[in-house]
Amino acid sequence: MTATTFAWLVLLCPLVGTVVIALGWNRWPGRSAGWIGTAAIAAAFGCAVVTLVSIRTRAPEHRELSSTLWNYAVTSGLDAKMQILVDPLSVFMITVVSGVSALIHLYSVTYMQSDRGLHRYFAYLNFFVLSMLLLVLAGNFVILIIGWAFVGAASYLLISFWYRRSTATRAGLKAFVINVVGDVGLVLGTFFIFKHTGTVDFLKVFALTPHVFGHDSTDLVVACLLLGVGAFAKSAQVPLHTWLPDAMEGPTPVSALIHAATMVTAGVYLIVRMHPLFEQAPTAADVTAIGGGLTLTVAATIALVVTDLKRVIAYSTMSQIGYMIMGASVGAYSAAMFHLMTHAFFKALLFMAAGSLIGAMAGVQSLDRMGGFRRVLPFTFVSFMVGGLALTGLPPFSGWLSKDDILAFLDHRGGGFEILGVLGYLGAFLTGLYTFRMIFRAFWGEPVEEARELEHGHLAHADVPRNPMTGEEEDTDIGFPGPGHYIAEREMPMKVAMGVLAVLALIGGLIQIPGVDLGIERFLSTTFADSHLVRSEPSTASSWVGLAIGAGAALIAITIAYRVWVAEPGTATRVRERLPALYTFLANKWYFDEAIDFLIVRPALTVGRLAGSVLERTVIEGLLTGGAVGAVRVGSAAVRRWQTGFVRYYAAAMLICLSGVALYFLISS
Amino acid sequence: MTILAASHMQGPPIDWAALSPFVALTTGGLLVLLLGLLRPPVVRERMVPLLTLITLGVTLAFEIAHFKHRASFISGALRFDDLALVLDMVFVVAAIAAVALSTRIPAVREAGHGEYHSLLLFSLLGMAVLVSAQNLVTLFLGFELLSIPLYVLCAAEHRREGSLESGLKYLVIGSVGSATLVYGLALVYGSTGSTDFSSIGAAVSAGKLSGGVGGDSMLLTGVALVVVGFAFKASVAPFHQWTPDVYEGAPTPITAFMATATKAAALGVFLRFFNVAVIGSQNTWAPMLAALAAITMIVGNIGALGQSSLKRMLGYSGVAQAGYMLGGVVVGTRLGVDATVLYIAIYLGMNLAAFAVVVAVEKTGGEGDHIGALRGLGSRAPWLAWPMTIAMLALAGIPGTAGFIGKFQLIHALVDGNYTWLAIVLVVASMISLGYYLRVVATMWMTGPAIAPVPYAPIAGGSQEADADGGSQEAKGSDGDAGLPLSPATAIPLPEIAFVALLFAAATVFFGIFPSPLFDLVNHAGAALSGLVP
Repeated sequence: MTATTFAWLVLLCPLVGTVVIALGWNRWPGRSAGWIGTAAIAAAFGCAVVTLVSIRTRAPEHRELSSTLWNYAVTSGLDAKMQILVDPLSVFMITVVSGVSALIHLYSVTYMQSDRGLHRYFAYLNFFVLSMLLLVLAGNFVILIIGWAFVGAASYLLISFWYRRSTATRAGLKAFVINVVGDVGLVLGTFFIFKHTGTVDFLKVFALTPHVFGHDSTDLVVACLLLGVGAFAKSAQVPLHTWLPDAMEGPTPVSALIHAATMVTAGVYLIVRMHPLFEQAPTAADVTAIGGGLTLTVAATIALVVTDLKRVIAYSTMSQIGYMIMGASVGAYSAAMFHLMTHAFFKALLFMAAGSLIGAMAGVQSLDRMGGFRRVLPFTFVSFMVGGLALTGLPPFSGWLSKDDILAFLDHRGGGFEILGVLGYLGAFLTGLYTFRMIFRAFWGEPVEEARELEHGHLAHADVPRNPMTGEEEDTDIGFPGPGHYIAEREMPMKVAMGVLAVLALIGGLIQIPGVDLGIERFLSTTFADSHLVRSEPSTASSWVGLAIGAGAALIAITIAYRVWVAEPGTATRVRERLPALYTFLANKWYFDEAIDFLIVRPALTVGRLAGSVLERTVIEGLLTGGAVGAVRVGSAAVRRWQTGFVRYYAAAMLICLSGVALYFLISS
Repeated sequence: MTILAASHMQGPPIDWAALSPFVALTTGGLLVLLLGLLRPPVVRERMVPLLTLITLGVTLAFEIAHFKHRASFISGALRFDDLALVLDMVFVVAAIAAVALSTRIPAVREAGHGEYHSLLLFSLLGMAVLVSAQNLVTLFLGFELLSIPLYVLCAAEHRREGSLESGLKYLVIGSVGSATLVYGLALVYGSTGSTDFSSIGAAVSAGKLSGGVGGDSMLLTGVALVVVGFAFKASVAPFHQWTPDVYEGAPTPITAFMATATKAAALGVFLRFFNVAVIGSQNTWAPMLAALAAITMIVGNIGALGQSSLKRMLGYSGVAQAGYMLGGVVVGTRLGVDATVLYIAIYLGMNLAAFAVVVAVEKTGGEGDHIGALRGLGSRAPWLAWPMTIAMLALAGIPGTAGFIGKFQLIHALVDGNYTWLAIVLVVASMISLGYYLRVVATMWMTGPAIAPVPYAPIAGGSQEADADGGSQEAKGSDGDAGLPLSPATAIPLPEIAFVALLFAAATVFFGIFPSPLFDLVNHAGAALSGLVP
């Protein structure tokens, strides 16, 4: 049993889980489907750990293993294989993905138990994990594209999981459409690369890149930009980010899994995986770095004014992924992966805590309605606090070490990248502000009715379940959320999942401390051995300066947040009244939705209507369809007319056509 | 003197061990014929098919044993190379399926078990000789040995008008085709002075002919006649007209055998003759073959659109598929040969699955092979509906099935060989083909009385004269075989037929996902033809 065998098993476990749950859909009693799903992912995590251990026993230069299960289409000029690449980077990713996914499955077992679509939910969730692991382990572009598209499909299925909720189905469509834009980018980018290198195998492409592409050659820049489009769509970066806040229509564990911990990091992984290409095309890398920097600020400012609890966390996710994209684009690969890992821990934790809080509010998600939950939800409060502090980046929480690792690299690289670094510190400040706005508004202040009810040991329950976005009345049958609401304080599986993540969010950063031990960087060094950017690491001293600045920004932000939302309540309203234009601008999310609507959707609709009325009716239906159908009909009639059923005609036709063939040969020669 | 001369004349040395597949087929065929003479029904109904299957199995084993060992014998008249062996395996598999499908049809009883099965074996021998042939004489010998048993087999159900008509038509038109071919072969021999493929090839390539290839009108006329002869056998338009009529009338297992094995043999000989013997004049014949391929794709698919008889529909679909496969011959490259052989192998699987379902539906439905007989099959007999669905999707070239892989490789070969326009025609033709393949799928699954059988004018009855003659092709195919009503939710009736359908459908899906074994196989086959652009 080698490392690659276990890597294949990592893929097999969720596949088996999906099939078993889906085929036995209504035969699994109670929550057993959930336990099957959790067991499958836990087994995958186990295999991932074994892979990790077994790859660590190898010498660092022998840690890149490519394994092919079977050839799909291998002929001259095409080498599509069912192939995985097991190297430190992919092993690192599968460990994080399967580990966090296992915990989220565990959380879902209770959180979703009253939902009528429980089997479907777990089948989808297992399928999602399978797709994500396939994407990460892909050893060539074909498998990458398959995994990439599967992930998009799984995300669509899970966002629209409550398919009778109109807002959910619309959000699912939006996510799917934007993800397909990314898929197209990825496929076109792959085509550019394949055209030049003649192979889709990652390792061969990377080896060939310096030889077939000139430094910063146009084709490679275009290819990388197209890959970047794929990465930006999947990772919700400006301007392809608008689907992510809407994706919060899905169940909360889904938000934790897909829209925080795993799927949205696929773009970061893609850029890191393709680093030999991006390093050869610095123009494209600069574009993605600036995109990441832009996203992290834009998203952080929007998060300041959004009132929907889950959407605040969603914008924060966008912002944090902006850091990672930025880091991955400038060469801070191991720092980006480090932040990806810690972010997976604390963001999943935040979403889970938010889920518990929403459970206590009987499905209500608006921050305006929350308050004073500190005492009645002690466990949720502590978890939220740990997640929030890690997100803000206060020492010694994990986010502090990982985020500032990226920023230190940016400052060290210089050449204009300091501006992005400064943007990063500004973002860190805003992060502290919006995180503690959330915490102070939900947990401090006067306890709301639901909190008081909980104090008497009674979990709030809505008389009529409503859509938290539109207020429409719903029932609790299949296609809508189930009747039950659950809080971590009362449910053991939720508590376990959150507890593990809280510990990881607290100490997960200790694996990589400048001057002490750079565990992740050391482990990933095999993958990045060919990179010329990683060699210029910032010194330990300058790293610590960066860490100090980051911690300072976070502390100031928390202090200000305390003054605004706890010490002097009403300050926020005064600020809003003083700067109405800014507030409207932010509350409308920088008008990105409107801009896309104005620039793309409306013109497309207008053209579409015009096409529908003019082009479709006259040209398509009249000429093309009509013409084609007519031609086929006439042809069909002609074929029938010739098919008389009489041998004499057949023989005659044969001789006539024979003369034609013979004449052709004689004339053409 | 003559006696003296005769005593001095020596036959060429024959390596019997290397010839073992032919020997096995011949011996098996004769034994089956003799065994059929015995009276007890158990011998005729059980032993004869069993002995046929054993013969086929032994032949297959010999073929596998010979694989990768190139052997040439009887003074180079025949050659076993991997191309011939791969095609032989295709024929044997098709014959095994035909035997399995024949277990309950009236044709076998009427023609006599021994005769029916031995004719099948001899036809198979003819195919094997045809694709192994290395000179014009063995080529023609194989061609006739393949055709004559089939004329008889088509008419095997001789109490049914349609079957008799089918056999007669095939005989008459087939004779015209054979005559054309033999004229063509004679002219080719006359102009090159040799019957041997390699010598012909050398003569053509070396330009030793008077006025070069282009100026030698005798050779060109010969090649034109050969094209027509082969095109007839492969049912390439416009020489395809016998196909729907014969396919419809013949007993369905024979139709299945013809649609797969005969077509494979004809395309195999296309490859042998055009990509070996006259490859030197490729610029001359390739545009002609490309035009024929394009016409075939269009005519086949358009013709299939309006059919209400499944066998006619599959006949036209087979015409279209022959057009696709001809594309691989046109380009004359190694890739083209590979793609054609690959498609032949894949076509075998998907077509046999479809025909197996047609046989089962004919037995149980009571509506003959009318498309209406498929109504509600999805709920009534899913073990038949699924193979049919897979077969239809594969024939249309939907990804995930082997049909997609086959078409993909053909398109790859065409684009690679600078015949992009033919690839575009192929794609457009495939789009048209969805029109009738999906109709079958929809009929099976979208059940209920809402879907009335679509009335289509019977093709052969299109002219008044034909109707008045009673020569209509819409002959009642169902009179003899309306037995065995299929009651829902019972055990699978006709287990061997369902098995054939499921097996080939499963293979079609399997090779759609794991195509590499097929790639390996055809790679050997392609390597057998030397002198091609790699």
